[in-house]
Amino acid sequence: MTTAPAPRASAAPLSLAFLAGALLTALGFAFVPFLIAGAPIESTMGPVQKIFYFHVPCAWALMLSTFTCAGGSIAYLFKGSARGDRVAVAAGELGVLFGLCVLVTGPLWGRVAWGVYWQWDARLTSSLLLWLVLLAYLLARRYGGPAARRLAAALSLFAAANVPLVYLSVRIWRTIHPTNQVVPTLQPGMRGVFWFSCLLFVALWGVLLALRVRLERARTALEELSLDIDDHLDRADEATLRPTEALS
Amino acid sequence: MSTRVNRPLPVAPRRLALLRRVRAVALVVVAGWLLPALAWADNFVKFEGKAPEEIPAGKFIAGAYGFIWVAVLVYVVFVARGLARTNAEVAELRRKLDGGAPRA
Repeated sequence: MTTAPAPRASAAPLSLAFLAGALLTALGFAFVPFLIAGAPIESTMGPVQKIFYFHVPCAWALMLSTFTCAGGSIAYLFKGSARGDRVAVAAGELGVLFGLCVLVTGPLWGRVAWGVYWQWDARLTSSLLLWLVLLAYLLARRYGGPAARRLAAALSLFAAANVPLVYLSVRIWRTIHPTNQVVPTLQPGMRGVFWFSCLLFVALWGVLLALRVRLERARTALEELSLDIDDHLDRADEATLRPTEALS
Repeated sequence: MSTRVNRPLPVAPRRLALLRRVRAVALVVVAGWLLPALAWADNFVKFEGKAPEEIPAGKFIAGAYGFIWVAVLVYVVFVARGLARTNAEVAELRRKLDGGAPRA
């Protein structure tokens, strides 16, 4: 398996486009609570339904992260792409982050809507399982030994296979969780706020992914530089030894 | 003085004794399982009228949104610090490589 040459770690400041994207995303996050507060209140669940405007985008970010992680892992496993591996680890971390957001915001909503924080129904259980598999991906990368990256890459494929199960769980099994038909049937006043929130979370996801990939690229360059230093010093040692060998 | 000889019981009475013992144990187990439920049932008091649990939704919405903010910020700080540290190490190594620093 051939690997790509080590990337050159850029100590240059982050690009203007990246900074602009990050700033816009932060401003959007500061502004979106006002939009959510102004959205109509749902008649059945009342004000607590507004958690929907970030719970659902977090869930979509979780699924997007899982598929991206799996895609990067496939590129690494079958093409030896170091870039694919960097994207995979970045997406894996984002999957754990947004998965945690889903698993916290959902029960907060459930406590008011259902009276309990948690139910072992199909959607909640499969979401928890997906999050645990992504966590296992990160742990395998960290502690998996020499073949850690390959082992973790295989785990990410398992996580990606779980995503359709999570999405369709409300259709396959009888669950307490709202169905996938909620979004297409939103009231007009809610639709705009929801899609804006989704766009914001996708933008946030993109910014975080770019930042994390940059860190991974820097770490790879650091490893390569360390090896170069060792080679350089070995050659320097050999050069100083040769005259003494000639004398003896 | 009579001596009682302990002879083994015939098969049918032995089986009957075993069945009696099993029945006694089963009764104890079922009673042990049912009694707490029955005691709890006695505590049930039917209430009239509507007594809905009032849970303030605002706190939960704020908590959910606040958690997302905190989680994202913590992650950004973690990545930014890692990036700064790694870039500093890379710069140090490049300096050594270009300067030809001696082995420590």
